Amino acid sequence: MSLFHFVQWLNDSSWSIYLRENDWPFAIIETIHILGLGLSVGTIMWVDLRLIGLAMRRERVSDVVSSLMPWAIAGFIVMFTSGALLLLSEPMKCYTRLSFRLKVVMLILAGLNVLYFHFRVERSMQEWDEAVVLPWRARMVGYASMALWLGIIVAGRWTAYF
Amino acid sequence: MNFQDLRIFPASLFQWCESSLLGNAIKNSKWDFAILETVHIIGIAVLLGSTLVVNLRLLGFGMRRRSAAELEEELGPWTWGALVLMLVTGAPMFLSEAVRMSLNGPFFTKMILLSLALAIHFTIRRTATRPEAANRIGLGKLAASLSIISWLSVALAGRAIAFFMTLNGG
Repeated sequence: MSLFHFVQWLNDSSWSIYLRENDWPFAIIETIHILGLGLSVGTIMWVDLRLIGLAMRRERVSDVVSSLMPWAIAGFIVMFTSGALLLLSEPMKCYTRLSFRLKVVMLILAGLNVLYFHFRVERSMQEWDEAVVLPWRARMVGYASMALWLGIIVAGRWTAYF
Repeated sequence: MNFQDLRIFPASLFQWCESSLLGNAIKNSKWDFAILETVHIIGIAVLLGSTLVVNLRLLGFGMRRRSAAELEEELGPWTWGALVLMLVTGAPMFLSEAVRMSLNGPFFTKMILLSLALAIHFTIRRTATRPEAANRIGLGKLAASLSIISWLSVALAGRAIAFFMTLNGG
């Protein structure tokens, strides 16, 4: 079964039709999705800005990461779960929209960026934990994360339009 | 007289808004509204994020090496920036569909909640994030709770504006 057929099958499933044809479930799920966005992106961006060197410069990097990561992860779980339901409500629309495809690509890249930070960059953190200007790898992770999440928000919003 | 939406003001005011140079230009553009809305959402993330980090510190979660006052000194400008960003994107969006907004219950509710959130932000929360308030734990927790609840309420009402339009057929 190709991806297209799977999407078609999903689109015709009773769960998908229920979510699509009832106003309130969709409204509630989308609201939760936006609140999850505020929580996760709103906390991740401080880690990014610390890595870039634009905010929280007097904090240790490890403090910013350890204080905010639990909230970012909680927000991400909320966003991912509600996002999966939103996707379930309109599988065919999402499948055909360029903005949604871009969003998926950027989400994967954002995930890889986190893994790169965790397994490569974070290892030498003791050496620059209190520094204001961080090694270029750390700064790049910050820039990439900011750009990707910005792109994800834009592409997500535009999935509704174009 | 009703207090459910903006019809407490004369209808001609909203018609004037929509026919204004800016309101009219956005209404007749395919891209303007989408761009404004996207920037507005980015503003939400920055505003919720910058207030949340300080609020969590006031509640006793994380960032314990720094005081709430120090954090607010650092993050306050981001909150200000986000507020300005949301105002300069929100106001033109309003202008472009002022007549519909005047009939929109959630929009009216959002404006009330926004006034409340700003009032809380610039009174009790400002007091709680001053250096001399460092020992007033109860005040800090109250201010942080009110701040979180008020900004989330504004965001919820904002989201409901579009749903109201969908459910009421525009």
